[in-house]
Amino acid sequence: MNAELPLAIDNNLPPQLRDLLDSADGPAFEKALDVIVRQRELKLFRALGQLARDLHDAVRHLGGELAHDGVTAVVADARQDLQDVLEMSAQAANRSLDFAERMRPQADTLSQNASEVLAWTSGNDAAAVLARQALEFAEASRAGLADMVLAQSWQDLTGQRIKKVAVFIGSVESSLLELVRLTGALAGSETPVRATQVSTQDDADRLLSEFGF
Amino acid sequence: MKILVVDDFSTMRRIVRNLLVELGFSNALIHDADDGENALAMLRKMPFDLVVTDWNMPNMNGIDLLRAIRAEAATKTLPVLMVTAENNRDQIIAAAQAGVNGYVVKPFSAATLEDKISRIFERIAASGAKA
Repeated sequence: MNAELPLAIDNNLPPQLRDLLDSADGPAFEKALDVIVRQRELKLFRALGQLARDLHDAVRHLGGELAHDGVTAVVADARQDLQDVLEMSAQAANRSLDFAERMRPQADTLSQNASEVLAWTSGNDAAAVLARQALEFAEASRAGLADMVLAQSWQDLTGQRIKKVAVFIGSVESSLLELVRLTGALAGSETPVRATQVSTQDDADRLLSEFGF
Repeated sequence: MKILVVDDFSTMRRIVRNLLVELGFSNALIHDADDGENALAMLRKMPFDLVVTDWNMPNMNGIDLLRAIRAEAATKTLPVLMVTAENNRDQIIAAAQAGVNGYVVKPFSAATLEDKISRIFERIAASGAKA
């Protein structure tokens, strides 16, 4: 079988192997081949080990930054911050809507009363002038209240974007946890909780603590 | 006229309700739901004359709600107005193909809402007259 190997390969082989290839000593050839393969594997494993260590350090460094005191960049905190923004903006919008709903019936009543006064007064007496002013004011107020109600739709429009950012943060969190798990596996430590099984903040904290976070 | 307003944002449900009241619809006849699933459950319990729904919602979004409404015998002709921030061409086409009756892009005015609702019922009246 050795004789069937292409001659072109011979020039690329180490001399020791080339000599063995030319000899009839099959076991010696296989042994020499094993040594070469093992040497190459060792180099590969060393490179992989270095890569795993670098990756682990990078992830630990990132985790350390995330957990730094006073910085709201901790993923869970960031998500909670966004939720707080949603709730606070909803409260503000609801206060404006409360006001509009409270004032609209008063504007309606003023408009109706002014119209009744105008119905039984004539000319330009003081009551008629006042009633006309009241009617104009009530109608302008109704229009203004309607505009104010509509303006509160900013809360919905900005809120939808905030929700999208919260989803994005969730996906970054999952990727980070997967990276932590992978780094731990490459470094040789067993990960008792798979990233896909992490479902609560406690699970996430537990997993991170196993890697020094 | 009994109207169902569907939106996951409580403020938007309130805004749409306010605008509908401003247009003369009865506040007592306006109901609301916070997603498609809850809306569908309400539609199965009582009859409505119009559904005003958002597109982006958890559990069941607006387009799936529309498809579910069209798939059920009791609601297949119920007028549905989509009120959404989505003005993507493909999504508008998808809504049209699913059988939406009107489409309003947020933010909108009471006049726009009135115009779309009027057109929906004009078209329904016209198709009823032809039939």
